[in-house]
Amino acid sequence: MRIIKRKTYRALVGPVWGENPISIQMLGICSALAVTVQLKTAIVMSISMTFVVAFSSLIVSMMRNWVPRNIRILVELAVIATLVILADEFLRAFYYDISKQLSVFVGLIITNCIVMGRAEAFALSNPPHLAFIDGIGNGAGYGSVLLAVAFIRELFGSGKLFGVKIIPESFYASGYEDMGFMLLAPAAFIIIGLLVWLQRYLTGD
Amino acid sequence: MSDRSRSIIFAAVLCLVCGTLLTAASNGLKDIQQRNIMSDRRKNILKSVGLIQKHKQYSAAQIDNIYERNISRLLVDEKGDLLGENRDGTPADKWGLPIYLYINQKGLIEAYIIPVDTRGLWGKILGYIAIKNDGSTIMGFTIYKHSETPGLGGEIEQNWFQNNFVGKKIIEPSGAFVAISIAKGKAADSVPKERYSHYVDGISGATLTGKFLTKGLKDLLTNYEAVSVKFRNIREYCKTNQNTPWCRR
Repeated sequence: MRIIKRKTYRALVGPVWGENPISIQMLGICSALAVTVQLKTAIVMSISMTFVVAFSSLIVSMMRNWVPRNIRILVELAVIATLVILADEFLRAFYYDISKQLSVFVGLIITNCIVMGRAEAFALSNPPHLAFIDGIGNGAGYGSVLLAVAFIRELFGSGKLFGVKIIPESFYASGYEDMGFMLLAPAAFIIIGLLVWLQRYLTGD
Repeated sequence: MSDRSRSIIFAAVLCLVCGTLLTAASNGLKDIQQRNIMSDRRKNILKSVGLIQKHKQYSAAQIDNIYERNISRLLVDEKGDLLGENRDGTPADKWGLPIYLYINQKGLIEAYIIPVDTRGLWGKILGYIAIKNDGSTIMGFTIYKHSETPGLGGEIEQNWFQNNFVGKKIIEPSGAFVAISIAKGKAADSVPKERYSHYVDGISGATLTGKFLTKGLKDLLTNYEAVSVKFRNIREYCKTNQNTPWCRR
């Protein structure tokens, strides 16, 4: 019992910190650049991503004993693509405004290496419940970096959080200016780099 | 069973299952999605004439209600005349210019709304521009679809950008047509004061989006200039054409 518990725990918490898909494994950087200009889009992206990676891992893991080895990548991709399109259709039907903001990026979850990577590296060799929890853990790990980056970019780039002005007008009056650079993709690179450095420093690697 | 046929059967079954799921989702949600798109357009039309507040949430039914009470859609030709059903046998929908009229509770036309459909840097920019019944003052401007870079050109969907259009003039005081342009950076810094009423503040880092939008709006307003002229000279026009819908004011 304790071993199972420890395994489950490791599958959930490992990807959030020690094996974080973005800051340690350097996967999924491209979408981390694209959707982190605002916190709101980053949150919806994280939720969609968690949904996709958790359920694709679950489904791939359930099929793992029947999938022929030679077409396993195609099978994984078909499962992932189906889930992504379902998520996209769902957002478009019930959260139209947000889906408008995310535009193509939900569709691009398909190309996110984290989803494929977890299916291939974990789900194919582990039972469904572990694979599902591993998916949630990876989604959370991805989301936590996204939120950290989005927080910094929205705050310094447009002086807002969740679209609400945070930096007081008096700052602007006395010469403070938003950093336009924060809104550009290279800024996200630099912030992710700094976060990686911070994490390595804290863990003593 | 050989490995190969097993792979093929597995792939076929998987495709069937995925395909069924996607078709079901797409068909099942289509109506709701279409309604969202319709409602979003109507919302933008109402926003452009200030009939709804920008930060408030409205239900689809509320939007339909306000829309149907105030807005009517017409088609005009390039001379600004209202269209009958057909020309050369093709329905007016195919070649007429759509225009929306904001008719208030007293039956007066307050503004006319022109659908914006122009290219941006990465794709189409769709929205609405509302012009007051004087035929020269912009009442509002909204964007409901675009593919510009989020945070840069994507700022065109933000209120601060759109609010800049309100009160700008598409003609000079002399009456000459100038359209409306997006300045490079703050209009106050880059444009001489007397031209200021034809420029809105640009978005820093999105010069190209501004350029495309400027050109698109100019072409669009040129197309609709005949309608605008009618509104500018509405008094004289209505003396002789009392029965046209333009003269309901």
